[in-house]
Formats: sequence, structure tokens, C-alpha cells
Amino acid sequence: MDRNEVLARLRGVLEESSTEPIDWSQLAETSTVASLGFDSLSILDVLYGIEQEFGVELDAGDVIDLETVGELVALVGERAA
Amino acid sequence: MTQRRVVITGIGMVTPLGIDEDVVWRRMLAGETGIGPITSFDQEAFISPYKVKLAAEVDSEIVAEALATMRRRPVDRALDFAMVAGDQALRQAGLIEAEPPFEPREVPVIIGTGTGSAQSLSQAFGRFAAKGPKGLLPSSVPRVMFNAISANLSMHFKLTGPNYMVISACTSAANALGDAYRRVRSGEFDIAVSGGAEGCLDPFFFGIWNNLGVLSPEPDPAMACRPFDAERQGTALGEGAALLVLESLESAQARGARVRGEIVGYGESSDAGHITGPNVEGQARAIEKALQSAAGVVEPADVAYINAHGTATRTNDTTESAAIRAALGDVADEIPVGSNKSFFGHTLGACGALETAVTLMALEKGLIPPNFNLVTPDPDCPVRLAGREPEAMEGSVALKNSFGFGGGNAVLVLAGADR
Repeated sequence: MDRNEVLARLRGVLEESSTEPIDWSQLAETSTVASLGFDSLSILDVLYGIEQEFGVELDAGDVIDLETVGELVALVGERAA
Repeated sequence: MTQRRVVITGIGMVTPLGIDEDVVWRRMLAGETGIGPITSFDQEAFISPYKVKLAAEVDSEIVAEALATMRRRPVDRALDFAMVAGDQALRQAGLIEAEPPFEPREVPVIIGTGTGSAQSLSQAFGRFAAKGPKGLLPSSVPRVMFNAISANLSMHFKLTGPNYMVISACTSAANALGDAYRRVRSGEFDIAVSGGAEGCLDPFFFGIWNNLGVLSPEPDPAMACRPFDAERQGTALGEGAALLVLESLESAQARGARVRGEIVGYGESSDAGHITGPNVEGQARAIEKALQSAAGVVEPADVAYINAHGTATRTNDTTESAAIRAALGDVADEIPVGSNKSFFGHTLGACGALETAVTLMALEKGLIPPNFNLVTPDPDCPVRLAGREPEAMEGSVALKNSFGFGGGNAVLVLAGADR
């Protein structure tokens, strides 16, 4: 699965899980996770969405130190392989 | 502590006639209904047909635009309506900063609803039915919990008084306003935020109403909900929200806040009769208790308008008329009775607040909104009915009746700001 495809599908998961009024069309690998406004509750919905979309089970510990969306793309791509 | 006078310093509304109170008022005076064919869900997409095709829907786009200015996106219909109405009310009252972050204020948030976060609940049930527990979002609890609306208002506007929902069917918002009124009247709080929010036009919740048999089968939206008309065939559902800022007169004056009107009395009762059938004695008792609570301030003869519960079901309108007669006697001959449900449909847990907001506007403007589709007044409704055109209000006191399934009744006595 190439990174662009992961990013596109991840964008859908993030948008669905978010209650923030973010312009998701601007989401790039360089976007910081912090700028997306997820909290300890909404991040659970992201992890749930990643499992539904990619079949990949991540927990909060896997993502807590990620700084960029690119790092999340890499992690999902690696676990989905 | 001496009982304080309780005034309204902010009104916010999200209605099937719009979200700008001036637009809503203009459309009411023009006799335009918010009832129309249901567009917010596809009635054809279900295994069996819906009998009823009409409801009073809020324009989703204008709500989404309003949410965007609050840096929010749509999450759940009833919640979204409450947030927009809350923002309007608090801004009008001059109580919040131009933009977040807001300063914490110790203000209670007491909100009525019939179906709560119905859209979120239905969606969660749908996911559960399709996939079992694994279909449920981790955030399901705070989305579907029945206090989501008051919780989100408290969180967004940093209102740190108690926050809770009041659930008493069609009487919910009136009961909520009554609670808030008492907390300010007693001196416990200077300010309270209260009202009602309803997002019942969800396929499941509309379905349970569709089958109850109280919704009008009339296909013409302008005639579907015809309170007090001899040919009325039932009610129509509506959605929306109205929030009011209640404040002690002293606090409002100290802040130089604009006073929109006053709550001068409140009365409530239960029929303890039938779960959906109304009861003259129970309703009359709520009216009497409301007037008694206002005794010394206003007298029955001062009442210049009754904003009825007026659902346009056969039983409500005759029972309510008899209750008005029983409570007011001959004084009832002089008091025009009108219902707003021909405009907004029956907004269930929001109607007590939305129709109170309209009553306050009517008191401000000295004009009674019309019973725009009252063709043949029902002789079994022996009250003086407002006509098909707006009429001048001869006085500055009004009653707002709310009578709900479950037998709960609540009546507010409202006065204009110039009393």
C-alpha cells in the first residue's frame, strides 16, 4: 500500500473521528498531530477507525509520541503489511 | 432572602422558520409555516412505508454556517441547535466574550428535551444492530448520554453551575425554565441559562410518532396542523431549540443589560390520569397555580394573550379550552388564545421554550401572532381565539401553557419589560 493511499484513507478516518472544524483537504504528511485537536477521548475513535479501515490494531501507547501525520502513515503502513 | 424579580436578558432560537428572531417573527406575521415535506431523511429507504410525510425541519445549512462561526462542526442535530441558540442568547445578553476562550461563570444550565441526542443514539443503535458491540464508537457514551446537550453547553461556554436535562415530554422546556426561574428567584444564582432542544426528526423517533396516530394525515403543509379548527386532524412534528438567559432584575440593571421581558409566575401539576390523554382538571390546576404564584403582581384580568399548547390534536385543543375556562372563568372571554404549532410544528421538548420566546417577542411588540390557518373555529373550544391576522395585544401579560405526555403540565406567566 503506498503512502498516498494510506494518507487518503487515514484522512477519512481522522475527519470522521474529529469534532474540530478543520479543513481536512489541507492534511499532509507534514501536518502535526497536535494541530488536529484530538484529545484522550477522540483519539480512541481514531484508533477504532484505523482498525475498521486498515485492520490494524493500535493502542494509545503506539500513537502518543507521534508528532506528524507522516509518522502515523508510516506506522499504519508498516502494521498493515 | 427576598424573592427576586426574574427577567430575560437574552433569547436564542433555531427554528423551522429560521434562526434570526426578526426573520422568524416576520414570517409568523405573514402566516408562513415551517411545516413541509420531510427532506432530512429518505422515507423510501425503509422496509415499510411512513404514513406521515410532513414535518417542520430546520435548515441544516444555516445551522452549519452558524456552527462554523463558533468554530464547531455539526455533531448531532439537537445538540447543534442548542449550541447555536445558546450562542445567540449569551451574546445578546452580553455575557460572553467575542471569541473563545470564555471566562468561567457560575451559571446553571437547565435544558429540556424530548428525545435528547436522538440522532447520535439512532446512529449508535444502527451500528450496534449491524456489527454488535464492535460496531460502537469508543466515544458513544458521551455522544448518546441523555445529558449531552447541557454538558456541551456548559463546556463550550464555561458555565460552571449545575448542568442537567429535564425530561418531561412536551412539558420539558417549561419545566426547565421553571427550575431555572426558581433558582434565580431564590437568590441562589444571579443568572441561569435554560430552554429546550429537540432533534426528533430521525427515522426511528419519527417512526414511533408515525405509528401513534396523532400526526395529521393532511397533505397540505399549510393545513396539516390547524390548532382549534373544527376540521383539525392532528399535529405535525417539528425540531429546533430555544435558549433564554434568565437573570435577576438587579443583576440586569447593574450590568445595563437589555430586558426582554419577565417571568412573573409559574405553576405546574400532573394529571395522574392517562399517559397520553390530557385532563381538564390537571391543566386547569397548573393554570390556577401559575396565576396564584403571580398574585399581587398580576391578576387574571391582566392576561392579554394565551400562547396555548395547542397541538391541533382533537383532544388537546378541547381539553385545553375547557381548562382555560375552568381556571379563568368569564375572564377567558376577553383573552385571545393562539398556538404557534401551525408554524413550528410540535417541537416536543423545545416547545415550552421556543413558544415562550415568541410570547416575549409578542409582548415586546404588542402584537399577537395569528392562528393563520384557523378556518372554522371549533365550537367545542369555547375560548376566544386569535384570528387569521396578527392583532394588537391589549395589555402586557401573557400565559404560556405546556401540557405533556405523562400528564405533566406547566404554565408560565410572562410580562413585558415595561411592566
